[in-house]
Amino acid sequence: MLTRTRFLRTAIRSSRFNTSLVLVLLVLGFAILGPLLTGHDPNAVVGGMNASPAAHPPLGTDNFGRDELTLLMYGTRNSLEIGAIAGLAAVLLGVLVGTVAGFYAGMVEEALMGVTNVLITIPAIVVLILLSVALGSRSAVTMGLIIGVTSWPWTARAVAAQTSSLRTREHIDIARLSGSSGFGIIVRDVIPYILSYLGMAFTLQLATAVLTEAALSLLGLGPTNTISLGILLQWSLLWEAVRQGVWWTFIPPTFFLSVVSFGLLLLNSSLDEIYNPRLQGGGGSCD
Amino acid sequence: MTDLLVAEDLRAYYRHGLSGWIRAVDGVSLTLREGEILGVAGESGCGKSTLAMVLASIARWPLCVKGGRLEVAGQEVPIRSGAATDTQHRGTVVSLMPQGAMNSLNPTQRVRDFVFDVLRSHDPGTTRTATAERARERLDRLHLPARVLDAYPHQLSGGMKQRVVAVISTLLDPRVLIADEPTSALDVSAQRALLALMAQLLEQGIIGGIVLVTHELPILRNVADRTMIMYAGQVSEVGPTEKVIFEPAHPYTQALMAATLVLESATKRQRIEGLEGAPPDLSQPPTGCRFHPRCRYATEACAEAFPPTLHPGPDHDAACWWLAQHLGAPQPELGARAVEP
Amino acid sequence: MSPTFRRYILTKLAWYLVALLAAVTLNFFLPRLVPGNPVDALMARFLQGGAGASASKTYQAFITQFHLDRPLWGQFLAYLVNIFRGDLGQSFSLFPARVTTLIGQAVPWTIALQLPAILLGWILGNLLGALAAYKRGAFDRNLFVTALALSSIPYYALAIVLLYVLAVAIPVFPSAGGYSFGTFPQLSWSFFLDALHHYLLPFLSLLVIAIGGQAVGMRSMAIYELGSDYVNYATSLGVSDRRVLGYVFRNAMLPQITGLALSLGTLVGGALITEIVFSYPGVGTLLFNAINANDYPLIQGVTLIIIVAVLLANFLVDLAYGAIDPRIRAARSGER
Repeated sequence: MLTRTRFLRTAIRSSRFNTSLVLVLLVLGFAILGPLLTGHDPNAVVGGMNASPAAHPPLGTDNFGRDELTLLMYGTRNSLEIGAIAGLAAVLLGVLVGTVAGFYAGMVEEALMGVTNVLITIPAIVVLILLSVALGSRSAVTMGLIIGVTSWPWTARAVAAQTSSLRTREHIDIARLSGSSGFGIIVRDVIPYILSYLGMAFTLQLATAVLTEAALSLLGLGPTNTISLGILLQWSLLWEAVRQGVWWTFIPPTFFLSVVSFGLLLLNSSLDEIYNPRLQGGGGSCD
Repeated sequence: MTDLLVAEDLRAYYRHGLSGWIRAVDGVSLTLREGEILGVAGESGCGKSTLAMVLASIARWPLCVKGGRLEVAGQEVPIRSGAATDTQHRGTVVSLMPQGAMNSLNPTQRVRDFVFDVLRSHDPGTTRTATAERARERLDRLHLPARVLDAYPHQLSGGMKQRVVAVISTLLDPRVLIADEPTSALDVSAQRALLALMAQLLEQGIIGGIVLVTHELPILRNVADRTMIMYAGQVSEVGPTEKVIFEPAHPYTQALMAATLVLESATKRQRIEGLEGAPPDLSQPPTGCRFHPRCRYATEACAEAFPPTLHPGPDHDAACWWLAQHLGAPQPELGARAVEP
Repeated sequence: MSPTFRRYILTKLAWYLVALLAAVTLNFFLPRLVPGNPVDALMARFLQGGAGASASKTYQAFITQFHLDRPLWGQFLAYLVNIFRGDLGQSFSLFPARVTTLIGQAVPWTIALQLPAILLGWILGNLLGALAAYKRGAFDRNLFVTALALSSIPYYALAIVLLYVLAVAIPVFPSAGGYSFGTFPQLSWSFFLDALHHYLLPFLSLLVIAIGGQAVGMRSMAIYELGSDYVNYATSLGVSDRRVLGYVFRNAMLPQITGLALSLGTLVGGALITEIVFSYPGVGTLLFNAINANDYPLIQGVTLIIIVAVLLANFLVDLAYGAIDPRIRAARSGER
């Protein structure tokens, strides 16, 4: 395990880490500061229908004359919010199931991993479609929760594997002998060891959840009465914006979705490389 | 006796994170003489396996050779990372008998195909029949049936695999053999056969010299002419095997020998005295003598500067400040402290 | 067939039957668990506006189809029996069309789009990934970042951009459908050319994304293999780099073959949005229309088909792995 200062020193020298961090921070800044700085309500009509960016609003207007830039800011913010809720829910559930399964071995492990494996096999998008159809109206929080509830099994499987390899370590034996409860050991002696992994799992889950939200929106099952990147895309498709060439309504949300996903995955892979230098393969230099 | 292999000031570091280094081999010099077996011993993590890789010139990312020079059979060998290696040198001049033979063979290739690949890399004109014939003769010496040539690695037991690897490593009659824990997976009789084969090849002059990395003292006693003790990436002591084992000069060797259960009547009564503490983190090694944080004789000088190399006996070197002050004085009684109440 | 192998198959079969049962149960209960669910809502709608003669006929069919006169578990049993008989009911929005017929018409389009994209993407991606691991240096760094970008952006992002650039801004390709408006699917040269013209853009968008994902996977597998002991050992014996790379790539291919089988499982459900973007007449567009029309039997039919495809692919992977006993699996694949 790397110490914190060494980690920072190492990270700063990795250009891939820097690029991804800058990308993620830029998107975050846009999503958090944007809605505070724009003077508009996202639903306010500010100009003509489908006005091009050449006119006053910097990114043009949509089918109803709403300011596209403001819509994009709110959409990015809500998409990230949904992604964060989903990522948090998935990691929490994954840690709960994974540590318990990995720590208690035997029947408990087999039962929990059996359920996990069945759920991994059933494609998450199907469960999401069925759940979303059932919930007539879906708030951003609901969207985040249902995405999180369907995406924890991968995290659970990885956490279980790491926990069961920790189980045989000396410090856990000592904790067990000193009479700590199973839950106490998991919290004090297991979770701190897998913390860096959990951070990486969260970035991965966040990226996946943002894309999942967009996919559901494009299927017509996105959050109701909320603007998200997926909803913006769905509107453009519904109003035939692509075929009318109104590029400013669909290229920016597509771009933002790609940047969020690419930035987070690049961050994840560069963290992985910092922890495992072997992965740098030919990219490593001996100087 | 001429020097077959001379290494000076070898430095080989593992990349740690993106900017740090783990100094696994840090300033190691050694000499292997014609016809000799040089034992290399030390705790796990002392850099002895890394040293073996450097000597066999197969250091690969994330292991980087940062300095030093290596000369084998009078020829300078380029070892620095990035230097072009002569693949003909590998296997014929220096050959590695690797540790953990379990994974040393390609799982999807029959032994005979690999043997053929090895031999034809050095002699493009060789035939399958010729290589099989050559391998069969060596296998027989290690009591292995010829049918192992038709096997896939997973069809062989651990001991068989280790012996197959031993055969392949010596098949090209290398001048220098670097054997890294070659006996660890073997039972006593297989161990004996392998050591006998190595001795025989050496006697017949088929192999010029052997660097034998091991942590098993009985094996060193039986076969090594000289023994080198490594600690934290550096050489603590090197000398005739009997001297190093029974009259160790360096405090680390003394502790190591005391901690190792040697089933010999002369040493049986000695209590096992565990070394306190753990080997240092080689990404930030201690200053001065690397053993000083665990050394019972450590003084301030030990933490400040690297100790000088002393000669406690003929052909016997040790690097230690304490020794520098006490050389000539009687050696401390081993285990004396341990029997105190 | 050895007894161990038979036991292996039976265990796996039982496991997948459990997974299938779990999936079917979810398929049935999930939409019905929430109060005010669409089945209830549809009922209400039919009761309110069910004046016309055709509507009441639909309503009757609806009651019979869902066995709404029975308790929930009775409805579930009837659903299971119907599935077992291959009957997925009738569509609401395209009444009285049968769900199986509608899906049967859509699936060939989806497979025609996905199968070549997956196969070709797998081959090209593996070649590129292997090349990157072999060449290293700048080629590897550039390819890795490009491939990572392609595999991390949503698969429909490229579809949207391609549609806009090559069908709207520079109208080289048609912008919608699987064939020109006014023509009908038939076995003729002109129809084939027309369909191909419509086919290329969605196909290309899927292919490029597939290449990216496979290249990332192959590269990391190859780098993992390059770090293994047998590579070190072969190198230490002077075996040429070219030959060692031969070992590495053959071994790295093994997990990639599993990967291929698994991505074949996404044959039906993996390109839903691409089809929606291009209004391509496949399963995705069918599902999209069903969702918009609240066509419940059709939605459930499509989700079931997606699940069955994934489970089947997983089962086949396990069977293939079992047929080659795990211990000799590595060996067999090495045979020339």
